[in-house]
Amino acid sequence: MQTALRGLVLAVLLFAGGPALAANAPGIFIVGVDGMDPEILERLMSEGEMPNFAKLRAEGTFQSLATATPPQSPVAWSNFVTGMNPGGHGIFDFIHRDPATYTPISSATPPVDDPGSAIDFFGWKIPTSTPEVVNNRGGIPFWDVLKQRGVEAEVYRIPGNFPTPPSEARVLGGMGTVDVRGGFGTYTLYTDRPPADEDPKGDIQLVALQDLDLDGQAETATGVLRGPPDQFRMEPGQIPGTKDYLAKGVTIHLAPGQQTAVVEVAGSRALLLEGEWSDWMEVTYDALPLGLAPVTGTVRFYAKELGPGLQIYASPVNVSPSSPAVPLTSPDDFVTEIYEAIGFYYTQGMPEETDALKDGVFDDDDYLKQVALVQEDTKRMVRLALERFEPGDTTFVYLSDIDLQCHMLWRHDDPKYPDAPPHPAHDPATADDHRHDIERFYKDVDDELGEIRKALPAETLLIVMSDHGFQPYTRKLHLNAWLRDNGYLALLDGKRTGQIVVGDVDWSKTKAYGLGFNGLYLNLAGREAEGIVDPAETDALVAELSQKLEAYRDPEDGARVVLRVDRASEVYSSERRAEGPDLIVGYDRGYGASDESTLGEITEGVIEDNTSRWSGNHLMSPDVVPGVLLVNRKLSGNGYDLTDLTVTILAHYGIDPVQGMVGEAIRGISR
Amino acid sequence: MQLFNSISTTVFDVLLAPFGHGVALFDLILWPALLGVMAILVYKAVSNQAALTRVKSQISMRLLEIRLFSHDIVQVLKSTGSILWKNTIYLGNHMIPMAVMIVPFMAVMAQLVANYAYAPSPTGAVELLHVKLDPESGVSSQDVQLAIPDGVALEVPAVKTADGQVFWRLRADEPGDHVLSVFVGDEIYEKHWAVGGDDRKIPTRRLRGIESFLYPSEPTLPAGGPVLSMEMDVHSRSLPFLPDGELGVVLWTLILSLGAGFAVKGVFGVTI
Repeated sequence: MQTALRGLVLAVLLFAGGPALAANAPGIFIVGVDGMDPEILERLMSEGEMPNFAKLRAEGTFQSLATATPPQSPVAWSNFVTGMNPGGHGIFDFIHRDPATYTPISSATPPVDDPGSAIDFFGWKIPTSTPEVVNNRGGIPFWDVLKQRGVEAEVYRIPGNFPTPPSEARVLGGMGTVDVRGGFGTYTLYTDRPPADEDPKGDIQLVALQDLDLDGQAETATGVLRGPPDQFRMEPGQIPGTKDYLAKGVTIHLAPGQQTAVVEVAGSRALLLEGEWSDWMEVTYDALPLGLAPVTGTVRFYAKELGPGLQIYASPVNVSPSSPAVPLTSPDDFVTEIYEAIGFYYTQGMPEETDALKDGVFDDDDYLKQVALVQEDTKRMVRLALERFEPGDTTFVYLSDIDLQCHMLWRHDDPKYPDAPPHPAHDPATADDHRHDIERFYKDVDDELGEIRKALPAETLLIVMSDHGFQPYTRKLHLNAWLRDNGYLALLDGKRTGQIVVGDVDWSKTKAYGLGFNGLYLNLAGREAEGIVDPAETDALVAELSQKLEAYRDPEDGARVVLRVDRASEVYSSERRAEGPDLIVGYDRGYGASDESTLGEITEGVIEDNTSRWSGNHLMSPDVVPGVLLVNRKLSGNGYDLTDLTVTILAHYGIDPVQGMVGEAIRGISR
Repeated sequence: MQLFNSISTTVFDVLLAPFGHGVALFDLILWPALLGVMAILVYKAVSNQAALTRVKSQISMRLLEIRLFSHDIVQVLKSTGSILWKNTIYLGNHMIPMAVMIVPFMAVMAQLVANYAYAPSPTGAVELLHVKLDPESGVSSQDVQLAIPDGVALEVPAVKTADGQVFWRLRADEPGDHVLSVFVGDEIYEKHWAVGGDDRKIPTRRLRGIESFLYPSEPTLPAGGPVLSMEMDVHSRSLPFLPDGELGVVLWTLILSLGAGFAVKGVFGVTI
């Protein structure tokens, strides 16, 4: 229904606007570099480390680009895609909440009221109706506007485009695209000893090496590779448990003493030396007998340790681009078109395997080897985008590495504040080897820009932009614990700790709660299931919370923790504002929400060191993490933001912004 | 099986020679079409044409009954039951022709697959050679060794499994039709690896027993020997207008031969 409505609105808005206007405009090539920071870029350009960026700056313009409120990737990219703020497009955070249950939910897909139905047929659950899963992002993507007005648009790995909305433009989704299990990427580790992390996010399988030929050397281990949920055995709407996934057997044959192994799965094999990654291997799971409902995924294995212990790592099983079980692109076959041109590639939205590094399954070297594979994919995809680019087209390509490497590697050496004290997760034993990794990734992007500029027609409008910048993340605030200590949140039975999702909160005494990375919600009567805050008291409560949060100081050194608290009513347009938080907590540089509080946990302490390898961040006040804007044109103004860029892309072709877009065309680019 | 494969391969090497391997479509049109025509003639010769004509007429009559007496549910049910029975008889009449044709049909398909479904590995490719031993032979995988020719490099040490499998990861440094020699005790088993160069017949698997019928490019492995199979990873050949590799050749051969057979059945007065 939502899809149909979107289509209708689009048709009315666009066809009313007249015929194609784009005949003679030179094309636009947009390079979206997630997380590129203007200060780091400026420094590296001035040091001569990024000659292609420096050249672009000299020929055109370089300035910072204001990010979204809050500066989270799904929010910021949705601003860019639609030209709206979150009040328009409805993406407020990575995590939203269901006011009826207070539970955290994905911002990408709203919960469905009707889980569908099925009939039981000898133990098989044959669906008779299935819920329509739609993308929660509202508004009209710029590529749809362009396409409707006769401009060819191709978009590669755009965040927040899964579930894939229908479109005439060629669009491949990026961040937010799921693996075959339906999550954001679950790795598997086959190991003969448990990992250090007590609560790893992956599927850890303890395997025992067996001596099948009784020669005194154990050399064979078996495990399983879990794939999609076994939907024909589950009730509609059931959340899959560990045993509810289809699985394929994995056999590992070791060559004792030689540090080699053969990994077999679903008829495919790879022979690996210790420290090597396999190529992609296709795995087909059969949800029904006789191959009636196949789901094909792709996986690659990494031989982390083949002696004396065993650690074989399997990537999340990606949806195969050769025969995708769910639409990953619009039109549906674009994903296969890309596959036919460049071979297998990561379809998972965030392919860098940060969970393995956070869990201690990977060390930095393992992680960087995997990142190199993603970089190869990206290069091949950018080459393809350039080959397909025709004058007059608009093409967008997305580079993810700077964002994720700043998240994961900042702890080794601060690239913005070299005199800052070491990060709490700093490890002197590994820091020397990785001190300049972040700068290296910046230089890789510079090389990529050089290749892009060589391939593009000279008159093409080239835009390099990022959704936000970066800061260190050294201290984490447990927002719900702060709310408890300040009398805004109460737990049942006099407890001090607990979790919202398991019902530990006494809602009859709770005025506000935190969910998501920057969201603060009032327990509003008439909106929340057990709301107690009278709507008439909202303004006063919001003002009080804002004042207290902004006044809060870190007990360790007296530093300000929250730079700015924004009221949704002031920073968001009204269309979908009611779906989001009431306050957006903008942390100061170095601070951020804890993972625990983000998911609704109330901890004992309020603030503590961030000892996680996830050591750089941008989920702060938008003031401290602006993005970058580089254009091969001289611009006459500054202070632009992501929504301005959207409107500018349309204006380049002489197209007016569509209803709901809040940006203004950038002077010097638009015609 | 070795004798059959040798004869089949010799015949097809001659038949496919005039057009070569460069333009696969000539052979992929000519031979499936001829196969379809030959199949229809064989079908005519070995099937009971009179019985087929009779049973088809009877089915037509029952269908007419259903149409004429659609108001009479008892008659409709009787006619439907009769149609099902006559259909069974009709299918039964095809058993002998199928039994006669299946071997030549599969032989032609196996030859076309061997010649046109695969491409040589590109120079620089890294592939796995996989040898499987017969557990009944009593030979251990540890007793298996590989000798590689010039132009081929062993990338990493072999993995020899407890269940009698041996894997080598090989890199093709130079083009050529390389011969890999696998030593199993005192015996030597050869496996060919096509690297680089023009399209040609590509060896994929060496098997023993009836299965080797489908892989005629290399000699059948000796029955009773210690080696069950030898397999080299292969690349699918891209074919114009068809799915790549085996699937494309098999589908095309089926469709074109059936089409050709149906097209000429009237000419030869064949009832199917």
